[in-house]
Amino acid sequence: MLMPGPVIKVENVSKRYRLGILNSGSLKQDIAAAFRRKGALQDSAIPAANELWALRDINFTINQGEAVGFIGRNGAGKSTLMKILSHITQPTTGNIKGIGRLASLLEVGTGFHPELTGRENIFLNGHILGMKKKEILRKFDEIVDFSGIERFIDTPVKRYSSGMYVRLAFSVAAHLDHDILIVDEALAVGDTDFQIRCLQKMRSVTQQENKTVLFVSHNMQAIRDLCGRLMCLYDGYIIEDGAPAKVIGNYLQREKMQYLSQQFDKPGEAPGNDEVRIKQVSVEAVGKKIIDAETPLTIACEYWQFPDGDSEYMVGVHIYDWSWICVADMHSEGYKRGEGLISAVCTIPAGFLNQGVYYISFDFIKGKDKKVWSFDACLSFEVQQSPGYKGWNGYVRPGFPVNLSFNKS
Amino acid sequence: MQYLSNMNNEPNWEWEISTSHKWYQLGLRELVHYKDIIVSFYRRELLAAYHQSVIGVSWIVLQPLLTTLFYFLVFNKIVKVSTDNTPPVFFYMSGSILWAYFSDCLSGAMYSFIHNAHIYNKVYFPRLVVPFSMALNHTVRFAIQFGLFLLAYIIFMCVSGRFVMSWQVLLTPLLFMQIMAFALGIGLITSVYVARYRDVEHIMSFLLRLFMFVTPVFYPASIVPEHYRMIFWLNPLTPMIETFRTLFFQTGTLHFAYIAVSAVTSVSVLMAGLVLFRQKELKVMDTI
Repeated sequence: MLMPGPVIKVENVSKRYRLGILNSGSLKQDIAAAFRRKGALQDSAIPAANELWALRDINFTINQGEAVGFIGRNGAGKSTLMKILSHITQPTTGNIKGIGRLASLLEVGTGFHPELTGRENIFLNGHILGMKKKEILRKFDEIVDFSGIERFIDTPVKRYSSGMYVRLAFSVAAHLDHDILIVDEALAVGDTDFQIRCLQKMRSVTQQENKTVLFVSHNMQAIRDLCGRLMCLYDGYIIEDGAPAKVIGNYLQREKMQYLSQQFDKPGEAPGNDEVRIKQVSVEAVGKKIIDAETPLTIACEYWQFPDGDSEYMVGVHIYDWSWICVADMHSEGYKRGEGLISAVCTIPAGFLNQGVYYISFDFIKGKDKKVWSFDACLSFEVQQSPGYKGWNGYVRPGFPVNLSFNKS
Repeated sequence: MQYLSNMNNEPNWEWEISTSHKWYQLGLRELVHYKDIIVSFYRRELLAAYHQSVIGVSWIVLQPLLTTLFYFLVFNKIVKVSTDNTPPVFFYMSGSILWAYFSDCLSGAMYSFIHNAHIYNKVYFPRLVVPFSMALNHTVRFAIQFGLFLLAYIIFMCVSGRFVMSWQVLLTPLLFMQIMAFALGIGLITSVYVARYRDVEHIMSFLLRLFMFVTPVFYPASIVPEHYRMIFWLNPLTPMIETFRTLFFQTGTLHFAYIAVSAVTSVSVLMAGLVLFRQKELKVMDTI
């Protein structure tokens, strides 16, 4: 086997997007740009007002067998970087060199056609992802097995449930015979069990076959489990590159100020999916400005529910510490409701959380245990040291009484 | 993606993504590597087009038959346009299948970006796969229609003894390739602009309709007045359709000079289309 050397080298990559809608102005601009094309002032001559640098001067090298994660808030440039690496869009400056076959999975089931059967779609999707016919034929049974939908393989996928669809699509992708695999948030779909199986599959692929994986996710748990190295993007720059626990810690620390509440006005633009859309989430100290260990907290989530038939739903609140270890997992009772706005509030009594930085995720569960969607790390807050104390150890500070008895001796 | 040769001092990089590539790098070798996907797209197009359709694939033969019938009623019975002494059914059928082949290949390529934006945005494969698979789709369709034409032609020839089939008929596939090259070339060029300016879509559907009237689809080139003849024959489709008819129906003589001009035009347009498409294929996706 080859010594693990560099397989991807990114040099000075930047990406500029032009903003704004298309109108007669843009035709004028295009014509002007066409005449300006010759000569070196091409870049400087374009006005800066309606352009956006999605990536700025990105440089890194990735070695064979590495699993590298990319984090950063929405709009930081993660997806643009993945698109450039996948050769979907061109960099404005710089270049990327690589060794080996690169497969990218920016979405599962790209090119699936609803009228075609599962079998036909496996071939179509496989070809689109760069597999040869022989390869697909060889792995066909394995793909069908992994997806667990043997019975429906000759049914048009338009009759599939969304879960089945995703499982089939991911199974094809999981069997790509790549040297380098790029995965962008594709795991954010599907049921939890299946997600875990996919993660395991990906991990075994990188470890055993010395393949390289580039992975973008907002799911800190998944990214920490899978990756040996993380890069954090902010406003188009890579601001950190290192060990996952440290990068995640710093990322969450940096982001914390932004995240005491989030609000979305229109269901169409809010995060969520077909069944759940977030209206607002917030964490507040009851009656105080500063959150400290002596303050009760209310964690609230208001969301639009679009129930799927007569299903029973449940909402859960998870509290994580800075290293993404789950401190507490609370959930509501099961409920059946029609379409509408639902508000969930969880009150954490004073003296429960110890000082430190915490993150909150909301989980939406259907039936007994099927995860509909989760709003990961949507809130964060710091519990300040209470005045007058030096601090306690431990995650929680429940203040259970320690009773003393003084025996006369 | 360009494949690199060795460089000193560096790992043996196999590919490079950069801000641009040379105009002559058409990536045709890469296209051969991805041939499975062309077939796959073709199958998708075919299966999807005839799913939930009662008579399904029969539309391929029904369409030219109905068009021929319609042309026959309108142009032969009502308007009474000459058909160069050719039995009208054969005359109109040849015109309509050749024209349909041209216009289908053109539109197929023209919508490459618009109809596949969701795929182009998510995964890499040579973008030319789509227009080529569309061309394949329309070529198969055309082959079936041409087969139908040949069948009717041979039956008619045996029954009436009117036509003479010469060995030159074997050259017709060259004509078909020329039609496809011309259509694909225009389609590739317009695809880039349609994606950026939707106005081009309206302009093209308008121009395509007008173009049919200046092409000898439902009338013979022989009725064009002397005065306009030269400009009429410079339309690359005129020699293609007229040559087809001359070979099968012995109407007039072959105009080799115009055939040559038409062939050169078609190949040039195709080359221009390929170069432009390759140069813009990734940039277009930022604006769609």
